[in-house]
Parts: sequence; C-alpha cells; structure tokens
Amino acid sequence: MRTRRGVIAGFLASGLLPRLGWAALGNPTFLAAAQLPDDSYGLLGMDADGQALFTVPLPGRGHAAAAHPTRPEAVAFARRPGDFALIIECTTGRQTARLQAPAGRHFYGHGVFSSDGSRLFTTENDYEAGRGVVGVWAAGEAYQRLGEFSSGGIGPHDIARLPNSDTLVVANGGLETHPDSGREKLNLATMQPNLSYLSTQGVRLEQIEMPTALRMNSIRHLAVRPDGLVAFAMQAQSRAGAAVGLIGFHQRGRPAELAVYPRSELVELQGYIGSVAFSTDGTQLALSSPRGGVVHYIDAEHKCYTRRIPNRDVCGIGASAAGFLATAGTGRVTVMPNGRPSYHHSYPHRWDNHLIAAAPPSHG
Amino acid sequence: MQYFIILFWLVVSVSAQADGRTDLIRSVVDQHILPGVAHLTVSSADLANAAQNSCDPHDPALRRAYGGAFDAWIAVSHLRFGPFETDNRGFALAFWPDTRSKTPKALSTLIRNVDPVAFDPVAYRDVSVAARGFYALEFLMYDSGFSGAAPESYRCQLLRMITADLSATSAAILTDWQQLYRPLMLSAGAADNRSYQTADEAVQELFKALMTGLQFTTQARLGRPMGTFERPRARRAEARRSGRSLRHVQLSIAALDDLADLLAKQTPILGKTLSKRFQRAANLARDLDDPVFANVALPQGRIRVEVLQQSIEIIALLCREELGPALGVVTGFNAMDGD
Repeated sequence: MRTRRGVIAGFLASGLLPRLGWAALGNPTFLAAAQLPDDSYGLLGMDADGQALFTVPLPGRGHAAAAHPTRPEAVAFARRPGDFALIIECTTGRQTARLQAPAGRHFYGHGVFSSDGSRLFTTENDYEAGRGVVGVWAAGEAYQRLGEFSSGGIGPHDIARLPNSDTLVVANGGLETHPDSGREKLNLATMQPNLSYLSTQGVRLEQIEMPTALRMNSIRHLAVRPDGLVAFAMQAQSRAGAAVGLIGFHQRGRPAELAVYPRSELVELQGYIGSVAFSTDGTQLALSSPRGGVVHYIDAEHKCYTRRIPNRDVCGIGASAAGFLATAGTGRVTVMPNGRPSYHHSYPHRWDNHLIAAAPPSHG
Repeated sequence: MQYFIILFWLVVSVSAQADGRTDLIRSVVDQHILPGVAHLTVSSADLANAAQNSCDPHDPALRRAYGGAFDAWIAVSHLRFGPFETDNRGFALAFWPDTRSKTPKALSTLIRNVDPVAFDPVAYRDVSVAARGFYALEFLMYDSGFSGAAPESYRCQLLRMITADLSATSAAILTDWQQLYRPLMLSAGAADNRSYQTADEAVQELFKALMTGLQFTTQARLGRPMGTFERPRARRAEARRSGRSLRHVQLSIAALDDLADLLAKQTPILGKTLSKRFQRAANLARDLDDPVFANVALPQGRIRVEVLQQSIEIIALLCREELGPALGVVTGFNAMDGD
C-alpha cells in the first residue's frame, strides 16, 4: 500500500496526474464505502483479493458508488435520503465536484455512467409528488445537471446499464418516502414495484410489474450479465411476500422468473437481500442477506439455489475473474475463489452496503 | 464422566433458554396481543351497532363508539404481521398516511356514483382500502365535505357499511390470532413450524413490532405534521378532523411501553430504564396541550413537539442498542440499515 502511495506521490510531483487512469491505483477491482476505525467515513478501493488499496474520506455514511468507465473517478453517494453526492478523483482523494440534488429531490444512493462516460444517471425522489426520477448530469469537470425524467415508478433504487448499450434498467422499489418522515414507508397499502427499461432520453422501453403475490416485495438491487440478463433482488415488506421469492431474473422481451429455492433457505434470508452480483463468466449469481447473515449462490442457467456460506452482517458482494468477494459490517472481507475454500481478511472497518466494480468489463 | 456432565449441563442450559423464549413469546401473545385484539373486536362491534342505531355524525353515542374503537386500533397498530397482514386487513382498518388524498377521492367517487357496493358486505371487501377503515369513517363523520353529503340515505348506508366492514375485519383478525397464529408463535422452532423455524425468529418478530411502532410514531405521527422548520405541515396530522392526533401518540406510547415491558422481562434493569423513558415521553405528551399539532407552525410549539419526538427516538435507540442484543435479535450495521 505504501509503495502505491509512493507511486502516486511521484506522479503528482512529476505533474503527470491528469493522464493517470485506474491502472495507476493498482487497478482497484472494487470500490466500497465504510465506517473507518475512528468513526469517520470513507470510500475505499480494493483489489480482487480483498486488499484495500486506497482510502478517500467521505463526510458521512455512504451507500454505494459508481465508477467512471475510463477516468479514475468515482461518485460516492450518501446514505438515503442524502441530497448530495461527491465526485472523487481516486488518485489523489481530491473531491473534484459535488452533485447537489435540485430542490425537492434527494438521491437514493445509486447511479450509473453512460457507456462513453459523458453522462451520469442518478436515482432520485421527487418527494412532494411522490414519484421517482432519473437525474441526468454532464460528467465533465463540473458535473452540471442537464435534466431529469421519470424513473417509471415510485422509489427507484438501483440503476444499471445493459452491456454494450445505453439502455438503462431501474429498480423501482415502489416505496414512497418523504424526508419529513425519514425512512418511514408511506404507501405500504398501495405499493407496486416494477423493473423499468429506459432510454437515456427517458423513453420507457419496457416495464415489468410484479404479480399480486409479490406486490409488497420491493425491488432494490440489480446485477446485469453481458448478454443482458438482469437479476433483481427484493426486500419483502410482508411475511407472505418473503415466502414467495426474493430473487428474480428478467431478459428483455421475456417474462420474469423467480429463482427456485428450497423453503428453509428462502426463510433464512429473512425477507431481505442486500446485494447481488453475477460471476464474471455469468454462470453464477451471489447474493447477500445481512439479516440472515448469509451469502447464497444461484445457478444462473437453471435459476436455482445451489449453496450457502454463512457470514454475519454481510452485505457487499462483488465478482472478479478469481471469484466472489463479500464485505460485512463486522469488518470481514471474505474471498470466495472459484472451486477453492473461502478465506477472509479482517479490517477494523464496518463495510457499508455495497461493493461496486471499479471498471466492470461487462458494463463497457 | 466430567465430559458427560459438561454435555448434560449444555443440553440443560440450551433447553432452558428455549423455554425462556417460549415464555417470553407466550407472555407477549397472551398479555399484550390477544387482549388488544379482543378489545378492538368488541369495540368495533359496538361501533357497528352504534351506526345501526344512528348514522348522524353528531350523535354522541356514535361519536363515543368511534372514539373507543379507534383507541383500540391505535393500541394494536404496531402489530402489522400475521393476521393483520393476511388479506391486507391492517390496511383495510387503517389507510394512513394518505399522501395522495386517496381516501376523500375514493369516497367521493362512491357517493357520486351512488355505488351499490355499499349495500354488499362481501363486495365491499374488494373496494380500495382507501375507502375502508377508521380514516375513511373519520372523513364521513368529521369532514364537512362529507358529513353532510347528499343523498343522505347513501351517506348513511356507506357509514354503516364501513363500520360493519371494520367490525368483520377485526373479528377475522381475532379469530386468526386465537386459532392459527397463537399456536404458530408458541410452537416457534418446532419441526413442523414452517413460519418460525426457531424461537429466535418469533422473538425477532415481536421486537420488530416494537421498533415499527416507535418509528411510525416518531416519523409519521409526529414527523409528518412537523414537516420542516421552514415548512410545517400541521394539516398532515393524523386524524386531525376528529381532534385525535396527539391522543394517538399518547395511546401508542402506552401500548409500546406495555410491549417493551414484556420484552424486557429477563433484563429487569434495562426494563426499568425503558419504563422511565416511556414515562417521560408520556408526560411530555400529556403536557403538550396541542391536540392536533396546530402549534408546529410556531417556533415554541414546534420545539415542544420536537422534544416529544426526541424522547421517543431515545427509546428507539435504547431498544435497538440494548434490548435487541439482549434478546439476541439481529441488529448489525447492515442488517438494520434497510436499503
């Protein structure tokens, strides 16, 4: 770690900084927000083996981040309902811009860049109207807001981009909240989550609504495979919904399907999936349940549960060619290599919700 | 031999803990949940009877019955799981907050169309939850736009149908609790229990109900009318038309105090601290003298509501950080985050 800092300092001294890419940072595979040992918060870069490469301070508790496809630049989102996000140059830790949500909007904590890196899309709450919007920002020097469009539902949370395209997919969780009442869910009686595919101009291309049995399962997090298969992870607002299913798959133009689950493993998730990621070869999906204290693997071809790995307060899940990686509120970073036993590193950090791929090849 | 004794001791202590859990679950179900639901059922039936006798919104007996049944609902409104969740019953009794004014819209539509659904108790179960339950009834009885709505005979029928529907829903919840859900919770961890695979899961459910109630009261019942300092929203206060906003906060503090007390039985020192905190919140609410939070628009009035809100937030914090771990329920950094 010291060596890399030295390298960066050297680049700084030689004035080469503007041309640095992610490589100069040791090519972090992941970005993750955490509470640091001194109770402050930060965004960390991590390699595929779970070794922390650099730390950038954050002013408050983070949720997720989005990495620019080419520049070593990340957007760090505050925990919902934050009204700002920070653009951080990861080589120096310098905050280069600050995204301020417009009046009457707050961020939900997720965002995604366009394929060419020129635009950033953020999920937001138009809370007086109780409708979800996608904010559009110019990803230049200053990150100017260009506009917004409907997310296609209420309470949009995760947003992703289909590979090799600029089609956005949004998890409209269906839950209405208002900053006056914190994170209290205001519309449980009528909530109706959906998965919406949108163009970067905001044209609704396709929308999947959940059947009645899943009406109270809020779609929160997404993983996208290179062939466009979308995995959507849910958080149940009812015991009945939790018993139906929490992880589904969808490919455009086809009906959505739920993963096949043994009952006791489904119950073990306690109605709550925190994060989800495809393996880089796309054959497997890993999901985390901090409430159940467990990681589950799903066979992505047969769409069925295959195995469990207990891990207390686990939430962040990421994939690299070597296998999956999981971060937990306990400080553990667990490396789950393909076909080999898991091992872990212990950090004095409390890892927050998500591990984000720093430069995901499948999202190129 | 020593090995055997240690093993024996382990077996005994594990089963003793399981028994402790069952006792805890039984005490909450039998001393908190069932009496509350039974009271709701009886008072809702009284309300339906009162509406049969008179559908005049100003009739004192009807108003008394409305108040009694609404009180009974608030005392169990934090129990959103199980029989309350089945068939959306909880929402059918209480559609609030109503951020998009769906209740007045749904009622207006029924009245404008003189919709015959108001004459059919079975069909009425399928109307929007916004037109059912206590908050719809409040509109019919206490909102000038509805209490005198023409035609009178239809308004009267609608009022009777809503109260009869309330009563039937409450009775269904009680029956389910007695016949299905009490046995289910008491057998948590049994091999054939598919809902609660361990006793811990049932304890977690009860703890969650406590946290849900505390959060709902601070964030919705108090937070919504408070709005922001620049933009207070007194008109968002719960059941303000019948002057019940502060009363609901008081009733929920009392009900949650009762539940917390039962959950803290095995940690008496913590129980005592919690009970003092609840007492303080109850005193602050009693002394507030602002029944519908109209004073949130004034700095002094707002500060007093904020102090009350903080007093309940402190209880929630204490429950999350001490009672939860004492009960062995999951309260991790990510597990409690909910996103």
